[in-house]
Amino acid sequence: MKVSRFSALVTVIVLVAGLFFGSPFVALLKSFTVADGFSALLNYQVLAVVGTSLLTALAATGLAAVVGTVLGYYFTFHKQTGSRWLKTFFSLPLVLPPSAAGYMLLLAFGRYGLIGAPLYHTFSVQIMFTLTALVLAQFFVVMPLMMQAASSAFQQVPGSLVKASHSLGADEYTTFIKVLLPLSRPVLVAGVITAFARALGEFGATMMVAGRLKTIPIMIYVKAMGGDAGVADGLSLLLVLLSFMILLLVNFIGEKR
Amino acid sequence: MALILENVSLAIERNLILEQISFEVPIGQVLVILGNSGAGKSKLLEVVAGLIGNQSGKIIFGGEDLSQLTPQARKIGFVFQDYALFPHMTAAENILFGLKSRQAPTTEQKRWLKLVAAELKIDHLLSRFPAELSGGQQQRVALARCMVLRPEILLLDEPLSALDAASRERLVMLMKKIQKKYRVTMLYVTHDHNEARFMGDQIMVVDQGRVIQTGPPEEIFARPVSRFVAHFTATRNILPGRIQEHLEAGQALVEVAGSLLLSTSCQVASQDVWVCIRPEHFSFVDETAPASPISSISDDPVAAESAQTTDNIISGYRISQILPQSGATVLIELMNRGARLLVFASNRRVVEQNLNVGSQVEILVAAEHVHCLPRQPDDIYCRPE
Repeated sequence: MKVSRFSALVTVIVLVAGLFFGSPFVALLKSFTVADGFSALLNYQVLAVVGTSLLTALAATGLAAVVGTVLGYYFTFHKQTGSRWLKTFFSLPLVLPPSAAGYMLLLAFGRYGLIGAPLYHTFSVQIMFTLTALVLAQFFVVMPLMMQAASSAFQQVPGSLVKASHSLGADEYTTFIKVLLPLSRPVLVAGVITAFARALGEFGATMMVAGRLKTIPIMIYVKAMGGDAGVADGLSLLLVLLSFMILLLVNFIGEKR
Repeated sequence: MALILENVSLAIERNLILEQISFEVPIGQVLVILGNSGAGKSKLLEVVAGLIGNQSGKIIFGGEDLSQLTPQARKIGFVFQDYALFPHMTAAENILFGLKSRQAPTTEQKRWLKLVAAELKIDHLLSRFPAELSGGQQQRVALARCMVLRPEILLLDEPLSALDAASRERLVMLMKKIQKKYRVTMLYVTHDHNEARFMGDQIMVVDQGRVIQTGPPEEIFARPVSRFVAHFTATRNILPGRIQEHLEAGQALVEVAGSLLLSTSCQVASQDVWVCIRPEHFSFVDETAPASPISSISDDPVAAESAQTTDNIISGYRISQILPQSGATVLIELMNRGARLLVFASNRRVVEQNLNVGSQVEILVAAEHVHCLPRQPDDIYCRPE
């Protein structure tokens, strides 16, 4: 069988990409030893970090699910002059370097920040370097993902169904709850899962606002830099497995649709 | 008491979609809106339903101005072209959606569901989801969903366009029956002239967001005001002609396709005209029939009756094609030195009069069915399809 030049080129690129993307995973598996990994993971400090990560990622995802869905709805059904600019603005964290996002959050919510200062001086509330800061940083980064998922979910609902709902006497809220949400559920659920995975893995922005607190990605960084390969390996593998399962779940939902 | 639109205009992103639309439909009557795709028909329905809000002009029903009311407050039912049934709800849930949104008591919901389902013969489909229903069944459910709300106005946007011929026929009868029974005022959008003729008490022809002609079906079909309307209402013979002599009150002698015809529908000042003759208004002269002043055979009773009065006889044409049509009719193409006429006849007539390709025939057309429209001398010849 004659193989065309193009097919050969495609095969080569696939192989090289496979090597490049596969090598970190292979290296991680090679570095990881079951005994060391488990003993490092079953440490109280490490388990607390895993708990913090899961807790903050869940909170940030919940917040993003609500706000992202509402913003997605707004930008789909309430298009006005300037909507495009506003949507672009809300999408900025998708492409913004996370460290810049974290720095900007510090400027806004730090003790001397735009909002942080009055909060601190009026209510003695400090946001930075607390669990709330971690949640806000993760929310800041993952909300646009949820907004885009919701936007595309609502756009897929035929316009005539929304019009039919209104013509049958349903107000905007009833139409949202009874028609739009049920018909968009699979895409919204996929959006929530993706947002959770992204929040769990968020590093840059979280790092800037974490203070002494640690999440899994921060712990991996600290341990890797400090030469504690056991914990870094174990936590990395945990994240890889979690991410892999989440992607599988998203694909499964996509296929089910 | 009527549904009245006064100078309704609509612009979307600086494009004028509807321009100064005005009409009046007496309560309990049907106005069919006939026009091409993109003519603004569906948008007009959406404006009446309040689904598009930024129009100008007034929409008045029973003396009340609806323009400022929300869609929920208008008591209008809307049947969409794609039925717009909620795919995640059963037929029953779809039908009850409006009543539940209006928080109607459960007993009332059950009573109306039973009543309307029986009326539309969908009792056995209530537990099915839309994906499990045929197009015709979906359309019945969509209609039921509107009818349970007892709307004062029913808007139907090409409700039969996605259905096969048999389902279309059944549903059009059903809709007419329901409309008559409940005396609901109806705006019915279609691009099908047969549907328009059957459903409409009045027909409004629209093109590019403007009203071209409004009137009873017989007037729209017999006396179109423009070549567009003539073409759209399936006047298959639109021929260039020239007035030879103006007679009294709208009568004229017109030269068309090599024949001189008397027209009693010729209110045209210019000499050059388009002559419109519907294919069903011709009848073949039966040479085998007993002698009479003018012997005519027509499948159309109107044409047959008029043939006894003021008929034009057209000679010198040969049959070039006989094309089967739906029902027991054929479309016959007649040619005479490049001039072409299209004539309807029943299969029975074709056999009885031995009409074959190549036969030379004489045809009749009543003077009142020869309708003239003004024509610019440089208008291109519009060859019938």
